[in-house]
Amino acid sequence: MALLKMPPPHGGILIDRVIKNPDRAKKMADGCTAFDIKPTMLDGIPIRNVYREIISICYGFFSPVEGSMVRNEVERVLEERRLLNEWVFPYPIVFDVSEEDYKNLGVEEGDRLLLRLKGQPFAILDIDEVYRIDPVDIATRTFGTPERNPEVVKAPFDQKHPGYMIYRSLNPVILAGKYTIINEPKFRDPYNKFWFPPVRCREEFKKKGCRTAIAHQTRNVPHVGHEALMKNAAYTGDVEPCRTILVNAIIGAKRRGDYPDEAILEAHAAVSRFRYIKPERHMVTFTLWDMRYGNPIESLLHGIIMQNMGCTHHMFGRDHAAVGEYYDMYATQILWTKGIPSFGFEAPPNEVDYGLKIIPQNMAEFWYCPKCGEMAYSETCGHEKEKQKLSGSFIRGMVAEGIFPPNIIMRPEVYKAIVKWWKVYGYPFVNPKYLAEKDRTLEVDIPPMEVDLKR
Amino acid sequence: MVHYIGLLLDDARLSKIKGTELEKKLTTLFGGQIKSLVLEVPEEWSKKILAEFPNARIDSRGYLEDLPVAFKRALFNEVVNKKSLGVDVIEAVFKRIDEIKELAEKESEYIPPPEIDTSEI
Repeated sequence: MALLKMPPPHGGILIDRVIKNPDRAKKMADGCTAFDIKPTMLDGIPIRNVYREIISICYGFFSPVEGSMVRNEVERVLEERRLLNEWVFPYPIVFDVSEEDYKNLGVEEGDRLLLRLKGQPFAILDIDEVYRIDPVDIATRTFGTPERNPEVVKAPFDQKHPGYMIYRSLNPVILAGKYTIINEPKFRDPYNKFWFPPVRCREEFKKKGCRTAIAHQTRNVPHVGHEALMKNAAYTGDVEPCRTILVNAIIGAKRRGDYPDEAILEAHAAVSRFRYIKPERHMVTFTLWDMRYGNPIESLLHGIIMQNMGCTHHMFGRDHAAVGEYYDMYATQILWTKGIPSFGFEAPPNEVDYGLKIIPQNMAEFWYCPKCGEMAYSETCGHEKEKQKLSGSFIRGMVAEGIFPPNIIMRPEVYKAIVKWWKVYGYPFVNPKYLAEKDRTLEVDIPPMEVDLKR
Repeated sequence: MVHYIGLLLDDARLSKIKGTELEKKLTTLFGGQIKSLVLEVPEEWSKKILAEFPNARIDSRGYLEDLPVAFKRALFNEVVNKKSLGVDVIEAVFKRIDEIKELAEKESEYIPPPEIDTSEI
């Protein structure tokens, strides 16, 4: 058996669009028109902030994407899930502004726009194209419909789906072009402890002598079922199990009832800090992205991010990145097993031209088996009648009632990480107050920077 | 189709059912580490509950979850009061549904955190 090695970045090279030389950065921004980045709002609640996409693009998480997509690229992504350079990519990525803001800006194709965040210069957008979208059309085609995608879409997307509502709430004018960060953000605590953009993550793997790594994508705090999933999925590899389990949390606006981002990161870190998994074999990172909950579509983005970070494998569970019952609960596993033709995949995404190089590891579920007296894998344990399922909502109920979960369900240190941030926010889960506070403080601070704006 | 509501019991709750018939109906989960009382909820009642609490959902085990703490607390109090796990408990709680919904509304803003030491995190 050939030994596996770290896969190349998706598209061949890691995108790096961060200017580190302040003089060069200032020169690039001087004379630009400025625009203060605004969140995408729904009923007064921030549901997306495009700054997260800008960071993820410029630091290479979404390689080979380099900016806000031109119209033809959005169309190609929606029809075939391919960029104009052929590489697989799942989601339209756009910089949207209102008609009013567009009129006030007075910019056109060929102009450079300075994007400010928290009042400071942050990035520039070199405008290649200005066009208009129909947000409802984009939202519908992004996630699919039962008619067009009968293999996996079970119900039409509606206002209860957070990702659908992100696209539906976009402004109509799109400024397309490449982003460049000219003023590096400083991550606030605790995010700074987990900031491993792809270049740094790959270096870290090399330092550790880590040839193989399996990704666990998460938006949740880990219960013992997740821990069992991570430990067991990591037995895949080549001649030996994967050396590293890379937990990557998606950080951004989430739906009500999810856990706060800070708790997710520190709870996962607690798993290795308190040695339930050896720290040498476990790493926690994050990617900024306002989750779209697109199940198979989202799994493509996760595959791309994790390949760019240097992972050889990606574990996918049931209902991956899902909410509600819009998709078949096995949609992601169907995609990575045989493809979904109506989404542009006659074969799995790692077997098509210009596809991914990361190896999928589809996993069934873990339950507690009182007969075996352990957390058991559903495809191995024969005590179906006795099984006791670990459900996220069951655990949320226990947390909300203030009941300390037993060790067999959740490690005490993981629970304490939840409570630590519960004390900060007065609430254990995401609620509108948390989303508003998060949008005010964001995950970063932007250092002061002087530029001469267009007059 | 019947659904279920599990009422988790900590030491304080266990003491309230000690010596009653309810004690014999205790269900244990996860190797005995969790004790609970399980109410069977006929479909017509689970529909009513889901309609009153938009965040509530039925999980993969058929249990009604993501219910407000105030609702579950009221259910437990009625279980103790009536010494029953039947529909009569749900009926009694629904007589106070407006008051419970008001409490539940406040829960979406603030839930007091447990007083445990988190300094090691």
